[in-house]
Amino acid sequence: MPIEIPVDKWPGTVNTVTLGATAADGGTRSKVVTIGGERSLPFMHFENETPHPPVIALEMTAARPGDWSQVLLDAWGDVVDDPARWAGACEEAGADLILLMFGLNDADGNPVTPDFAVGTVKAVLQATGLPLVVLGPGQAEVDNEILVPVADATKGERLVLGLCEDANYRTIVASAMANGHLVLGRTPMDVNLAKQLNILMTDMGLPLDRIVMDPTTGALGYGIEYGYSVMERLRLAALQGDAMTQLPMLVNPGYEAWRTKESKVGEGVPDTWGDWAARGTHWETLTAVSLIEAGADVVVLRHPDSVTRVREAIDELMTLETA
Amino acid sequence: MSRYIATRAIRGANALVGEAEVMLKQALDEHGADTPVSFPNTAYFLPVIFGMTGREIENLGELPEVLDHARSLLHPTPSAKHWTPYLGETLDSGMATLLAAETIEAIRYIYGLQPELLPGFELAGGTSFTSPDMNGGADGSSNGHLNGAIDDIQLRSWGIQLVDGRMPGFAAIVGCAKSNAAAVQIVRELQRRNILTFLSGNVNGRSIIHQLLEEGVELGYDTYTVPFGTDTISAIYALGFATRSALTFGGMKGGQAKEILHYNKDRVFAFVLALGEVDDLKYAAAAGAINFGFPVIADTVIPQILPTGVTTYEHVVSLPWHEIDGGDDLEKAERLVQKCIEVRGVKVQVADVPVPVPYGSAFEGEVVRKADMRVEFGGKNSRCFEYLRMGKLDEVVDGKIEVVGPDFSAVDPQGSMDMGIVVEVAGRQMEQDFEPVLERQIHYFVNGASGIQHIGQRDITWIRVSEKAAEVGFDLESFGKILHARLHSDFGAIVDKVAITIYTDPEQVDQRLDEARAAYDFRNKRLEDLTDTAVDVFYSCTLCQSFAPNAPNHVCIVSPERLGLCGAYNWLDCKASFNINPTGPNQPIKLGRVSDLETGYWEGTNDYAKVGSHGVVEEVAMYSIMENPMTACGCFECIVMLIPEANGVMVVSREDTSMTPAGMTFSTLAGIAGGGIQTPGVMGVGKYYLASPKFISADGGFKRIVWMSSVLKDTMSEEFKIVAEREGDLELIDRIADERSVSSVDELLAWMEAHEHPALTMDAIF
Repeated sequence: MPIEIPVDKWPGTVNTVTLGATAADGGTRSKVVTIGGERSLPFMHFENETPHPPVIALEMTAARPGDWSQVLLDAWGDVVDDPARWAGACEEAGADLILLMFGLNDADGNPVTPDFAVGTVKAVLQATGLPLVVLGPGQAEVDNEILVPVADATKGERLVLGLCEDANYRTIVASAMANGHLVLGRTPMDVNLAKQLNILMTDMGLPLDRIVMDPTTGALGYGIEYGYSVMERLRLAALQGDAMTQLPMLVNPGYEAWRTKESKVGEGVPDTWGDWAARGTHWETLTAVSLIEAGADVVVLRHPDSVTRVREAIDELMTLETA
Repeated sequence: MSRYIATRAIRGANALVGEAEVMLKQALDEHGADTPVSFPNTAYFLPVIFGMTGREIENLGELPEVLDHARSLLHPTPSAKHWTPYLGETLDSGMATLLAAETIEAIRYIYGLQPELLPGFELAGGTSFTSPDMNGGADGSSNGHLNGAIDDIQLRSWGIQLVDGRMPGFAAIVGCAKSNAAAVQIVRELQRRNILTFLSGNVNGRSIIHQLLEEGVELGYDTYTVPFGTDTISAIYALGFATRSALTFGGMKGGQAKEILHYNKDRVFAFVLALGEVDDLKYAAAAGAINFGFPVIADTVIPQILPTGVTTYEHVVSLPWHEIDGGDDLEKAERLVQKCIEVRGVKVQVADVPVPVPYGSAFEGEVVRKADMRVEFGGKNSRCFEYLRMGKLDEVVDGKIEVVGPDFSAVDPQGSMDMGIVVEVAGRQMEQDFEPVLERQIHYFVNGASGIQHIGQRDITWIRVSEKAAEVGFDLESFGKILHARLHSDFGAIVDKVAITIYTDPEQVDQRLDEARAAYDFRNKRLEDLTDTAVDVFYSCTLCQSFAPNAPNHVCIVSPERLGLCGAYNWLDCKASFNINPTGPNQPIKLGRVSDLETGYWEGTNDYAKVGSHGVVEEVAMYSIMENPMTACGCFECIVMLIPEANGVMVVSREDTSMTPAGMTFSTLAGIAGGGIQTPGVMGVGKYYLASPKFISADGGFKRIVWMSSVLKDTMSEEFKIVAEREGDLELIDRIADERSVSSVDELLAWMEAHEHPALTMDAIF
């Protein structure tokens, strides 16, 4: 019996956003990444094609991370002490783009300075041709102190700068606008707050095609349902035509998955939990793939093995038989 | 528009364009068309010309067409005999003046006349020049000249601060102050508020720059006070700065004149302060500034242009120095700057709460026990009240805190005294309706101070100050400082000025208390008069979508007679919230045409219901539980539910855990009432809605309530007394069953028979 699959016709489209700029467009990237453009729920190929598949970012830190799982440190080895080499390793591991995270301190344990930040970002830009997301430590004063000079020093690269949050977005948006960069806005798992921040940022005159939103999520077993639901609702609203929700979404399953006990702790846990390293990457992979199905356009990962596995999942989802 | 101003501005513009033409001709003769022209270190060419006309001027030969354009903007001065409109002409002339002024300065750069030389002057940080001549010659320092145009590096640094709000705006001062002391005070007042200051112009050869130098005030980038030049023409650099702000931070391109001007009007909070006599050229330049939405405030007598239009508020305001209310130059300067801020609508940030005790919301729940107490106001042994009222913008003095009567140092430890806190606020967006909304915040603001306990409101306020807080210096004035800082930081959108008076003198307390009580009565009356038919907008509330993610499609529609179901937001709160945060969770819903006033349908509410619920709900009835009832999230104070057998409804409070006649407890019922779906016969509401004349009025109103949690009867007894009177049955509340006697439908019907409940004889509810 032939079964007719109902086809939804959505009036809205997710914005198309290009991260990074090649020399021709005023940057130095060897490749750029374009995300967004969806006109249907994820992977409903029979409704509309997915113009840009979800992409994978690898997260690295400006100074050796103090709170990362030993599994991750073992996987990366000594490159974690050298941002330039780490960036190269990320590219080799198959990332589409790199997320560079600043903490409150530099490699020597001193408070981060604008010089350190600019130097690190430049070193990473030289070491890799991938587009770059640069995030401050999330404290308004420090973020503004280091991101403004970074934005100035990398004019035209179309970096993604963050975090823009409700309490601190104006300075970052202003410096992104003045230097041709993009911004990442983050709100704590809430459709309306996400929408409001997007309104505020575009109110300043930043075009929508230069904003990516992070609606925040949880790890598998640690609130992923909540995050999934918010992302799904944002995407539904976007497809229904609400311009202020039509932004591509970036989420960080790597951060979320690697702070769960299952990924972080290797000793004193039941034997049935199995191999620690395998467990961690399973956790990260499953979290990431679930969020991709919720509509994520960029997933940020931490373990190089997860990149391969999430990539396989994306490829499979992208080639699903269309009805 | 004043004809006087128009005449003088147009005359000034004509003269300046003529002057520029002469200078340009001479420069072309002496230097040739290929001579490069530029301002130092900028990528925006001659910025005003570039922004307004899109011309990328790089050499002298390109300037004649700029002046041709300027000349085409000139008009004859208005006829003294016949009235003709001249606003457009004046604005055009202003623009012509700016183009001519920028041309003149560009030519002067070629002749080494810009930046203006001033022997002996040391710039405290300024534009650096690639030409060593300009860096003061021999020693290569940046001495011996004023700043001239601002370079792009400084533009970025300041521009970001202007955009992100750290810097509230900039002031272009033109002319010369009444005295050196006045000049210093004006600049200090601007600096204190973090307002960037540009200096130019003179009166009879004497400039505010000279005045400040004589008084030893450091000028330059480092002090946020930049000397452009001692003539009016150099004020063009301020507009070049403004134009480049729009190009850099507004993402605009050269030639987008309209967008650039709008950007400046809406986002760059700048104003012109004209000190001393205003000549033709100053009028012309001022007309140029008005194009950008920058108003002009003069400290001399000039005609005013008060209607709004091109600027957000007034265009030209005269505040003669000798008429400013103030004892000395300091006070006069403060008032003058305050006036400038008002006219431009600059919002000033107050960062910290300046009290000697720790301050933050973490201290809100603190209790001060009798044993730890230094003094108390209110409670059993004394009187205390708080009263916030709206004052006139030009009468309220921002930051003024006055204590009338003795401080509590004279009171015995653990003693008490009378106190009245009277807060006066003023603001362009302030409305009398917001008074109670702001007044209620006093409770949270005062409680934020460590060691202070605040209970109650209005004339039942009760405040305790702990021994510890008093020891470190918390006094009566501290209350004022808290309120001033917090009202500005939390309600800056509607409040521009805050003044506080604390009364402890018993006679004064008496008198003020009477005033306050009259105001409380007035407000109560106002609330009674505030009916759904008296307004033309309701408000949406999506606040709870944050906490109730499983009800993504629920929206409250808040009307004067139906508050939000959580009980936290009434119509006035929503109105104030929208004014404070226009992109926030409370948005106005224009009612439009009434479809059915009985059941509560308007075009606007129905349209909104569709959008707000993402298409899940098609229509919503404001006054019915049976037909398209309003949805709920999960945070309702009460659940109203149909009891078919009783021909009425029951009301269950969320504080009531007992069994209801419906056979379900509150928590089970909550599952049916919430979730953002319409279930006829079930509805979540705020408890004060029960007492509203519009409570399920389409279904018969309050008389339909056959059962109600006793806790509601107790806490709402005052309100219900009024309802009973309104319904014409003083026994009405006693006819309603509660959980103490009835927990099943059979018991309920028996109770209703025994108590002659009106629902028994009403029309069938469905």
